[in-house]
Amino acid sequence: MTNAHAPLLETRRLELAYGAFKAVDGVDLCIRPGTIHTVIGPNGAGKTSLFHCLTGERRPTHGSILLDGRDITRQPAHGRVGLGMARSFQITSLFQELSVHENLRLAAQGVDGWKALNFWQRLDTRKRHIDTADEVLERLNLTERAGIPAGELSHGQQRILEVGMAICARPKLLLLDEPTSGMGIDDIPTMTRLIGELGRDHSILLIEHNMSIVMSISDTITVMNRGRVLVEGTPDSVRNDQRVREAYLGEAA
Amino acid sequence: MDTKTGAVASKRNGATPLARPGRIRWAPGTTLAMLVVVVLLPVVLPSATLATEILIFAMAALACNLLLGYTGLLSFGQAIFFGAGAYCSALGMLHWQLGLFSALLLALGVGAVLALLVGLLCIRRKGIYFVMLTLALTQMAYFLAYTLSDWTGGDNGLLGVPRPPIALGDTTLVSLASPLAFYGLVAVLFAVIYIMARRITSSPFGSTLLAIRENEARAAALGYDIRLFKIMVFVLSGAITALAGALYAMLLNFAPLSNIELLMSEQILIMTIIGGTGSLFGSLLGAGSIVLLGDILSAIWPRWMLLLGVALIAVVIFMRGGLWGGLTSLLQRARRASSHDKEA
Repeated sequence: MTNAHAPLLETRRLELAYGAFKAVDGVDLCIRPGTIHTVIGPNGAGKTSLFHCLTGERRPTHGSILLDGRDITRQPAHGRVGLGMARSFQITSLFQELSVHENLRLAAQGVDGWKALNFWQRLDTRKRHIDTADEVLERLNLTERAGIPAGELSHGQQRILEVGMAICARPKLLLLDEPTSGMGIDDIPTMTRLIGELGRDHSILLIEHNMSIVMSISDTITVMNRGRVLVEGTPDSVRNDQRVREAYLGEAA
Repeated sequence: MDTKTGAVASKRNGATPLARPGRIRWAPGTTLAMLVVVVLLPVVLPSATLATEILIFAMAALACNLLLGYTGLLSFGQAIFFGAGAYCSALGMLHWQLGLFSALLLALGVGAVLALLVGLLCIRRKGIYFVMLTLALTQMAYFLAYTLSDWTGGDNGLLGVPRPPIALGDTTLVSLASPLAFYGLVAVLFAVIYIMARRITSSPFGSTLLAIRENEARAAALGYDIRLFKIMVFVLSGAITALAGALYAMLLNFAPLSNIELLMSEQILIMTIIGGTGSLFGSLLGAGSIVLLGDILSAIWPRWMLLLGVALIAVVIFMRGGLWGGLTSLLQRARRASSHDKEA
């Protein structure tokens, strides 16, 4: 089904309008498997609206979204997980009172969809989910903190856990919404390394403000402005593009 | 059964506790403690009827706890199921000559179906709007019961509700006429429901409910169909509450209109909160203390509900985990003190 050339995720003439205002205005996006694809743009460019359409939080007013060639435009958010999409949140969204391990275990269990409607099985017999959680803990370097409530992690660690929960579903496509937002300068290299590593075995759609991260790990960059795609290309071509500079300068002016 | 699995859980707890420590975690002793309480209640209390009332309300509080403590749903609709369970089982026994277990099964079924309908409607909204919908529906149910006085007896309540024996065909096995015999039946049903609820709350389903309570948006993003889970727990809770209502009608030989009043919903909620949300044993504590308080105080002072208000305020402000939370923190402190003694 998936080959190197067919897009993993594709949007066609995607539009999200709030009344007369079009937050997303006819976006064609094409994410190739095995790449880190970043969407950037000045504030109000429509990045987050686009992201919400992709995750299923908002239903686009026009156009379609295809995952592996399958139309998922009308799939609800929870239904997209089982099809191979997982997301992180821009504002940390964890189960604060549950342990770090339980956060990850729930994330691993969620991908099984309706099978979690199991009234009778004990938690500790669901070995597969526990193993996944253990594995991801290891990967996030959080094994030592497995037992404490997620709300007691440092802010940087919470951001890491936020991304970690998305990979528990073993998705084909990871959607990361500003993973470094609110992170201290000291924690950012850890996150950059983590995303870089994840990029080796996942396809990633990244929304990010921090340009040094964007330029260092992206394979493809899409620049959005006023709901439309302004430029798309490699980091180098985007860096040197005059229109991109103007869009960002326009914001500053 | 519980002690064995409890041991497994506590072994795991060292490495990977399944939930926040001190709140909802494995407490292998509580099933045993529940059984001890159930056996001792009729011995300690002056009457078996009082003990029966405690367990019936503990059942209703436990069902409410599944919604409030485990899923974070504050529902004022519990009286609908409690009242409907009482009326339907009573009418079934009066008009169709239903036996004991058929009447109880009828209550379970009616409770489940009503909860499905109420759930489908209310779960469309969240937070305060959800609460208002459950309030409105309870008011509607009350006036419906009031209006249908040919069926429900209206203000007078439904009189002459029988308490059929445990029978096989036409042979009576155990008569439940004596308060103690009826207590036995209620005690067995309560224990079964408690153990089932315990099992359910520690299943993948139960862990998902906790996740929904903690953070709905995240739970949905992880792939859980939130509405489906909420409706399932609503149905479960409604069925158990209706069973409690049916048993209450059999206990009183009477189904009063107050069963389906908003006040009943409040009372069940208060028991749940005072006992401790998120702890099944807490529901038993909450129901026990409120029924007992009511029994003792109402004899002395007709305005005793005022004191109940004070107790509720005290628990909400000073004991966030309710009686159960207070008890566990006391136990922990005692344990820490004794381990200090050993070291010294």
